[in-house]
Amino acid sequence: MTKTQRRRLTAAGRYTALTVWAVIVVFPLYWIVSTSFKPSDQWFSWPPVYFPSPATLDNYSDVWIGATSVAEGGQTALSLQTPFLALRNSLILAFGATAAAVLYGSVIAYGVSRYRLLSETRMFQLLMLRMVPPIVIVAPLSLYFSYLGLLDSMIGLGVMYFLTSLPYAVWMTKSFIDEVPREVEQAAEILGASRWRTVFEVVLPLVRSGLVATFMFILILNWSEYLLSLILSKTNVVTLPVELSKFEGSTEGRLFGRQAALSVGITFPLIIIGLFIRKHLARGFSFGMVRR
Amino acid sequence: MARIELVNLRKTYGPVLAVRDLNCVIEDGEFVVFVGPSGCGKTTTLRLIAGFEEPDRGEIRIDGRVVNDLEPRDRGLGMVFQSHALFPHKTVAQNIEFGLRMKKVPRDERARRVREVAEMVRLTPLLNKLPAACSGGESQRVALARTLVTNPSTFLLDEPLSSLDAKLRRELRAECDRLHQELKKTFIFVTHDQEEAMTLADRIVVMRDGDIEQVGSPMEIYSEPVTDFVADFFGSPSMNLVSGEVIADNGALAFRSPHFSLALPPEAFVATPPGSVTLGIRPEHVRVQRDVGATADLALPVRLVEPLGKDTLLYFDIGAERPFIAVTEGLALAELDAGERVGLTLTRDCLFVFGGDGKRIARRPAPPV
Repeated sequence: MTKTQRRRLTAAGRYTALTVWAVIVVFPLYWIVSTSFKPSDQWFSWPPVYFPSPATLDNYSDVWIGATSVAEGGQTALSLQTPFLALRNSLILAFGATAAAVLYGSVIAYGVSRYRLLSETRMFQLLMLRMVPPIVIVAPLSLYFSYLGLLDSMIGLGVMYFLTSLPYAVWMTKSFIDEVPREVEQAAEILGASRWRTVFEVVLPLVRSGLVATFMFILILNWSEYLLSLILSKTNVVTLPVELSKFEGSTEGRLFGRQAALSVGITFPLIIIGLFIRKHLARGFSFGMVRR
Repeated sequence: MARIELVNLRKTYGPVLAVRDLNCVIEDGEFVVFVGPSGCGKTTTLRLIAGFEEPDRGEIRIDGRVVNDLEPRDRGLGMVFQSHALFPHKTVAQNIEFGLRMKKVPRDERARRVREVAEMVRLTPLLNKLPAACSGGESQRVALARTLVTNPSTFLLDEPLSSLDAKLRRELRAECDRLHQELKKTFIFVTHDQEEAMTLADRIVVMRDGDIEQVGSPMEIYSEPVTDFVADFFGSPSMNLVSGEVIADNGALAFRSPHFSLALPPEAFVATPPGSVTLGIRPEHVRVQRDVGATADLALPVRLVEPLGKDTLLYFDIGAERPFIAVTEGLALAELDAGERVGLTLTRDCLFVFGGDGKRIARRPAPPV
């Protein structure tokens, strides 16, 4: 076998393996999307239907607007909260807490980077906080929350999202802020800028790609957060992951089409945002962009 | 207008002494250049004046007022950094405008002054560009304009030209000089380049290991260096320094090194220490003659000939690490072959002798004529 042949064979083997892996990874996603367009008789059918025919938007209209068709069909009428409410809650909580965490975290990170506000040990301990399994703290937390009257409230859940995101925000933004040359800051300083002005007019704009990447990373975590939301809220403040989990309950039956439609709806906003800030993401995740 | 006094200024970084009890007065309107090799404390001194570093002890006074506890922005100074330190996310105009905005100057006034300054340093066509689109020289002019526009009492320049190529450096050097003439402000310029120091300064402060080695006008520094360090640092090519010893023999003084010896004018120096000394002579004070006559001090084979056009440099091997260099005018000797022996005569009046501690041994003043 010549060298070229061997190289081709290796490449062929590699691509085959990668293709198999890609199919394994992508198939469940495809299955969710295709199921969301299937009429109810194709949800369970055997042999499986790979391409919904006729494709229908019923699942979407049912799950997002109202549970009409299934209810008329004589099955259990659903007591689902309107997903739009959950969507609203999720948007406010995830975006609000993430934005606050990135903003506050980057200011802390600036202090750590420039003034050694936290020692290396403290910084590590900060990250260690995140390593505690949430289930360990959530039970005592719900007690605290009930005393404080924060149970089942936007504020309560928002504060928790903010606090749990903060360690990540500090850690990620610090690595970006470390890269900003001191001289640029000092130039602003001697030109008359106060410390806060320098941070908000010079330092943070310089690391905006990093901030966007951090924002996205934390947003994904908060958007799909389930456990805290499940325990710390009851009926007032339901988020999308909790809403989705209701389809796993025995009383709701197996409404795979609607579950899929909701899943797609939950994933969609993140993909849209990701596309919008693609440029920043690529730059933020491969940092070092500050020109010296 | 600012007169800056540094009194017993000391700064350490851990065990490292960066600036050692420095005393220096910079007069109003003066162009002072701090020069020295890297690590000599010149940049630290500048940063102490700017307020980015706090002295361990000592005082910094601007117009008689102690400013140790003032923030950099309250000291009325302007600074140009080695890295230019432009704001990469702001356009050239926004960069220049920044200082005025911080001082809450009204918008119309800001626009007018940005235009004026841009005109002054020829940046007008670049106002809407981002710093990334500017060349090195342009960036440096933006940095200058950004400082100019705030009308500081003193300009602090930290090796502003070191990141530029030789031609641009000369251009911007002239620009700095012109600005100083026009503005009549105090300029404190830090560099490791002796040529920059010589051409720009009213007064040069030579620093070494956190200490001031010598302060003086460029001519003083060049013709009357107080140590072998200063002698070696200034001048290009630098001074020939040969170590050896001075021996007194029946009232006649002679310098002797392993590779050559030289009779010194009798009683040329105030004191002649026994032991090792360093003999110094600038390359332009070495006369070269083709025939190795009896009049020449030394006869050495040429190792290398460097015709530079206006001058020709001749290199000789004297067994030391550094070659012995002579400068001759024109190209008359450019045709010399390596290995050819020529005669060298050292101008006696221009000889320096430095003691074992590096300090120059003073010449006896010439008798009145």
